[in-house]
Amino acid sequence: MFRPSFKAALLGLTLLIAALPAAAQVDTGQANFNIYVAVGDSLTAGVASGGLVQTVQRNSYPILIYRQATGRTTGFEQPLISEPGIPALLELRSLVPLVIAQRGGQGTPLNLTLPRPYNNLGVPGAKIHDVRVTVTGGLHDAILRGLGSQLQQAVALHPTFVTLWAGNNDALSAALAGRVIEGVTLTPLADFTADYQAVVSALSGAGARLAIANIPDVTSIPFVTTLPPVVINPQTQQPVIVNGNPVPLIGPNGLLTAGDRVLLTAQAELATGRGIPAVLGGTGQPLSDGVVLSASEVSTINNRVAAFNTVIRAEATRVNAAFIDTNAVLRRAADTGISVGGITFTENFLTGGIFSLDGVHPTPFGYAYIANQFIAAINDQFDAEIPPVNLFPFVFGGASAAGSATAQKAEPQGIFTPLALKNLFWLLRVPDLDDQPSVTPPRRRRGRG
Amino acid sequence: MRRRGELIRRALSVAALAGLAAAPAGAAGFGIFEQGTRAMGMAGAFTAQADDPSLLFHNAGGLAFVEQSDWQAGATYFTSTEAEFQGAAPFPGPDQQAEQEPLGEILPHAYYVRPINDTWKFGFGLYAPFGLTTEWQDPDQFSGRYISTRAAIRSVDLNPTIGWRTGNFGIGVGAIARVSDVELNRRLPVVNPFTFQVQDVGDLNLETDFGEGFGWNVGVLHRFNNSFSWGLSYRSKISIDYEGDARVRQISTGNAQLDAVVATRVPFNRDLPAEASIEFPDMASLGLAFALSPNLRLETDANWTGWSTFDTTEIDFVNNDLPDAEIRSDWEDVYNYRAGLRWTASPKSEWRIGYVFDETPQPEEAVTPLLPDADRNGFTLGYGYTGTWKIDLALMYLDFKERTRARSFEHEGDFFGTYNTQALLFGLTIGR
Repeated sequence: MFRPSFKAALLGLTLLIAALPAAAQVDTGQANFNIYVAVGDSLTAGVASGGLVQTVQRNSYPILIYRQATGRTTGFEQPLISEPGIPALLELRSLVPLVIAQRGGQGTPLNLTLPRPYNNLGVPGAKIHDVRVTVTGGLHDAILRGLGSQLQQAVALHPTFVTLWAGNNDALSAALAGRVIEGVTLTPLADFTADYQAVVSALSGAGARLAIANIPDVTSIPFVTTLPPVVINPQTQQPVIVNGNPVPLIGPNGLLTAGDRVLLTAQAELATGRGIPAVLGGTGQPLSDGVVLSASEVSTINNRVAAFNTVIRAEATRVNAAFIDTNAVLRRAADTGISVGGITFTENFLTGGIFSLDGVHPTPFGYAYIANQFIAAINDQFDAEIPPVNLFPFVFGGASAAGSATAQKAEPQGIFTPLALKNLFWLLRVPDLDDQPSVTPPRRRRGRG
Repeated sequence: MRRRGELIRRALSVAALAGLAAAPAGAAGFGIFEQGTRAMGMAGAFTAQADDPSLLFHNAGGLAFVEQSDWQAGATYFTSTEAEFQGAAPFPGPDQQAEQEPLGEILPHAYYVRPINDTWKFGFGLYAPFGLTTEWQDPDQFSGRYISTRAAIRSVDLNPTIGWRTGNFGIGVGAIARVSDVELNRRLPVVNPFTFQVQDVGDLNLETDFGEGFGWNVGVLHRFNNSFSWGLSYRSKISIDYEGDARVRQISTGNAQLDAVVATRVPFNRDLPAEASIEFPDMASLGLAFALSPNLRLETDANWTGWSTFDTTEIDFVNNDLPDAEIRSDWEDVYNYRAGLRWTASPKSEWRIGYVFDETPQPEEAVTPLLPDADRNGFTLGYGYTGTWKIDLALMYLDFKERTRARSFEHEGDFFGTYNTQALLFGLTIGR
């Protein structure tokens, strides 16, 4: 049980207040950003390209909101991680052939001795239940530092404003692991509802105004949507046509159909001929269950996300929170793209500009765009006039999460190296469902290739 | 080993190409009312007087009163004295400013009128009632380059007209043949997957051939007596279909792999046939002229322009080389108001002053670097001398109201900021 000592709390509060320069002139309406806490998962923490690192964290959507709402650049503390991040960020080594690998080394937490909870409490991989009670596991240790769960620490800060974007991982595990297992990769609705309502009640009860975001369709991310369910000719990079039709890949339950999804993780198996009929040069063996989402699995996940979103919407209404429909944002990105100044950003992998190299998390531009969606919703709900984030530096550089292209000899079997993939799943706390050696999480303060 | 290049090509968003589809509004408020220097001196308040050969533009009804053959030719020279842009968040942000290349357009006009008999008159006019160029300096750096770097439209009208006089009424009817071309230029963007930064990959240029369209005009002029006259004039809509070839010049991103992949997706250095269509608005003018004294005449006009014809412009790539672009403008019908005063200083010379308020047809959401428009106040001064030759001179100062855009059409991208424009016009017409 987390019981901050009175002195520690007082010290924390004093430090907090001392850190605040004169009040800014931004009209925040009925919202008050003096003590702003962000609660959530990797999206809140600022994960991009498979890792958490300060260059991206310094432009996480919560700190962007904070800067715009207060005009201050200090006073919002985050668990910053040094380069190259934890896990080390992915980088694009080569476009053709496509090689994405992790950078060498590993980052370390920089801000561990902050004598109070961070303002940004988002923990990568956290489900709504984790937000409520989890204290340890994965990056929980580095961010929560044993002082209590996200919810407990948020409440202890006596926040005046809280953003809550949680629930993504309650469905995302199923999409990343390629398997729907109730209670393991997909959270049951009743459990989700109970935890979500408890979290919102506690945050609202602590006296904070809230901004609450719903969950994008986890089956619309490039990790899920990039590879088609048909055989591709490596020479022409076009679908192989036989008798006027493309050739479906062989999935775990038979030939794939248009509604099935092939995850990016399938590329490693496809590269060895798996999933491809023998007559076309493959092994004739089916792709494994974990790299394919069947149409019915997609449907189950989408329906669950819709159900989660109904709960989230109701909770936002119940506590008069600003509501951000991130589900609609991603859907628009997928349908028509997101247009900015004559540039169309899409959900496409690598060149869409919205998703980073892991195919799951946004780029810095994506986070800045999301911050503006939060700001617009907050302005609307609380009669505020918080100015939007200037997107120009995010569009044209200065805030990127990927490195420069360096030619490398290494040519892994899949898009991600096996190690990169393991680290991504560790980061996002995707359950290990295969008979693989268990993932060894990267340890702090030790170099790791 | 399987190549994964196709992953990229398939994944490679037609961001470069879809950017074309995202380019917003077409040309705006590009009507030019200054088609004769005598009228220009009076801010175009000429519908109720129409007493020089430029009547063919201002009010064909004036043709009915022509007593001897007469001609004039001249030009109006446009120059911008200020054409600046200041960006605002979220894009392109307050750190971005831009300036247009100074305009220097010469719009010619020539008119010939003659009586056939006491009742029937004939006239032929040539003038340029629609035109504009918007070109931004430093296109490599201009934050709006994916919308437009340079856009231009040119047109010329040929207008044979017949006038018919009955008593103090004059009626004129004309046919209009309009010839026009359009030029559009912009950059094409791509997101560089190595850096997640946007870079230019192409320079798109579209120049159409001359397209033509036909219309008509009609005018009524009633010279009630020496002290009062009124006039009504109408010019029809004209639709023009344009054809031309676009070309895209490749711009290197600095990354050879990316350049190679982009080259497989964007049809560089080839003629890409394209079609577009513009419906020019109809216009109506009502003028009332009063003699305040034998030497001083005042006219006030109201003009209406049916700019709602300009709502969506499609650029159709005939062979599907690039995705079709839909440019949404949603312009509105507008009024403008003019007042002009002419003072006959001597039998040979005359001074003129005038004022015009010109509403912009362009809604806020459609204000873009393609053609940023605004309400305008115009102040004019003119002088005319009649000797063996007739010479008219005029000067107009056109002050565009500061125009700020802080909204976008639904699902269109933001390009926010403030435009400030001022222009000077010089007119010179000579006749004999």
